[in-house]
This record gives sequence, structure tokens and C-alpha cells, in this order.
Amino acid sequence: MARARKQKIKRGAILFAHNSPKYNYFSMAVYAARRINHYLDLPVTVITDEESVAKTDYSFDNIVITTPDKNNKRDWGMWINKGRYQAYDFSPYDETLLLDTDYVVNSDKLLKTFDISQDFCCHDRTEYFMQPNLPLEVLSAYSFKTLWATAVMFKKTNKTEQIFRCLEMVQKNYDHYANIHGFISGTFRNDYALTLALRLVNGHMNDPENIIPWNLLHIGRNTSVYPENSDPLTNKFVVLYDHWNRGKIKKEYLTIKDIDFHVMNKDNFMEII
Amino acid sequence: MDTKTLLAETKARFSHNAAKAYLKEKYDGKFLIAEQGGLWRAEPNIISFLNSGKSKTVILQDTFNNPVKVDRKSLSAKLQETYDNVMEEWYKEWQELESKR
Repeated sequence: MARARKQKIKRGAILFAHNSPKYNYFSMAVYAARRINHYLDLPVTVITDEESVAKTDYSFDNIVITTPDKNNKRDWGMWINKGRYQAYDFSPYDETLLLDTDYVVNSDKLLKTFDISQDFCCHDRTEYFMQPNLPLEVLSAYSFKTLWATAVMFKKTNKTEQIFRCLEMVQKNYDHYANIHGFISGTFRNDYALTLALRLVNGHMNDPENIIPWNLLHIGRNTSVYPENSDPLTNKFVVLYDHWNRGKIKKEYLTIKDIDFHVMNKDNFMEII
Repeated sequence: MDTKTLLAETKARFSHNAAKAYLKEKYDGKFLIAEQGGLWRAEPNIISFLNSGKSKTVILQDTFNNPVKVDRKSLSAKLQETYDNVMEEWYKEWQELESKR
């Protein structure tokens, strides 16, 4: 009788970390990787470049060196965020979490995403700490609700490969899609490219199985976050908010624990790592 | 600067409304479980429905609106366990929050 041997599925996380003149994304990746190891028990591969990679006492599962596309700008300067479509080819894992380096893993919640979809899933809804009921972001007034590339789970399947190939196509023709959907193409955003690519692959609609069924939580405008103690793996943070009222700021705060979040303010993030 | 000093110096006020919203966000996704080929949300409605039947199996729509044939008792037990555990944790944290008033 033939013995069937079940091959173990390899799971891991990958992070893209290309330093800009203003921010050290490699340091952010080291901080994020330690937390991914601790809370999700997953190995981490970093996609970086010769200029960004630095000596560290942290040992990544893999370090992939690439040539970054530096042709993108934000209000604060150069922003190297293109090439996310390469995640499919660079990931050494069967099932991968693709996370932004400024996403703070603080619980094991993301492990559930492996059970949610057979192919690919990402967030389509967001909430901001201290600022409930902010409207969801849209590509433009006449276009779709934005999907978020901040935290993505994918498995190596044909459909997933199509999504990443489509992401590459959208990146390479970003001006064209910006023109069609009425958004400004000056700054390339992975969120917008993903929104378009996923809809294209799903026949111009969203498949609920590609959506993570809980909100992506942001530390947004006028809000900052600080660890409650000096433990680099602490799960307790304080969120501080500048509540503007009649021209005056009233500070408000909240203590949080065991909950993942995305820090939009990079200056604040550099302070906490 | 540690957070206690930071909060004291900025005279920041604890926001109960934000804390309540944060707890909802935190526990919302924890009710989800993948079981018997579907994705389920452990809620009183579905648990009551499962407990009200007598047949061994039942066909239900999961959270993706796919019809899934499930073992009634086994799914009910799993959902009940998830619901109880998550609500217990949520309630505990909610009480801690209320004590700050």
C-alpha cells in the first residue's frame, strides 16, 4: 500500500524595506520582524537593496537584495514603494503574509487570514483610533472604495499569480488608470494599484473571499502612539490624540493591548522602534 | 519619557468613547472561525438555530454566502465555545474600563 505523505505547508511573512533619505525602512523591518516572530511564530523574509541593508543582531529567514525603483515621490520626499508585485516571486513560502514595515503586529489575529481565503485577502475597511466614523477612502469621487495593501495574505495559486501579474501591469500603466478613475497619478500608491488589480482579476467586482472581515486600524492624523513600557515586544500601547475644539487642543488618550495597528505617521513610528 | 509622565505633562484625559470603540474592533474578528469547510461568525442567532434542530446535518450559508452542509451538534458546540470565550474576555476588559470612570 502506497503511503501518502502530507507535505507540510510553509508559512512566513515578507516585508519590503527600501530606505528613503528621510526614513530607515530596514530598521522598521527589523522591529516588525521581531514582533512577527513573537506573536505569529512565522519566519520573515525581507526584500531590500544594497544601500538599505544594515548589520543587525536580528537574523532574517532570508534577505533578498533587489534594485529598487526610486521613481516615486511623496510630500516628504522620495518614497520607494514600487515593485510590490514581486512579492509573489520572491516569497519562499506556500502561504505568505505581506505586511508594511509600519504595521505593528501585537496579537495572533492575522493567523486567521490563512483560514479565510484559498488565494488572497486584504482589508477593504478601516477605522482610526480616537477618530471614529471617518469616511472610508475612495480612489476618487467617481471610483471605488480603496482596498489596502498594508496587510495581505496570499497563497501560491494560479489566481494569486494573476493578481500579482495584474498589479505589475497596473503599476506600469498607472497614469492610464489614474486618468480613467480620476485620481492623481503623481504619487504611486500600492493601495490604489491593488484596488484596480483585484477587481480586474475578479471580473470587475470584489470577491468577498478576498476581503479580510475585520477593520484595518490606523493611527492617523493628530494621533500618536507610544509603548507603555520599555519591552520592545510589549503588547501595551498608549494612543494620544490632539482633539481640536474651538481653536484649542484638548489631549485625549486611550490604552490598548493585544491589537494590531498601522502607524501612518512615520516620524512617530521611528520614535517607538 | 515614559507614558505616565507624558500623560501627566500633557494633562490628557482618558477617552471612554474611544476605548469602547477600540474594544469592539478588538473583539469583532475574534468571533470568526473556519470550521467544516465554511467561515462562521459565532453569534447567538446561528447558535440558537443550530440548537433548535433535530437532524444530524443541516445546510447553512456561511459568511461568504456559500451553502455548506454541516454536522449540527459539532458546529453548534464549536460556535458556543468561541462565543463564550470571546464574550468573557470582552466583558472582563469592559469592566476594567468601567472602573476607570
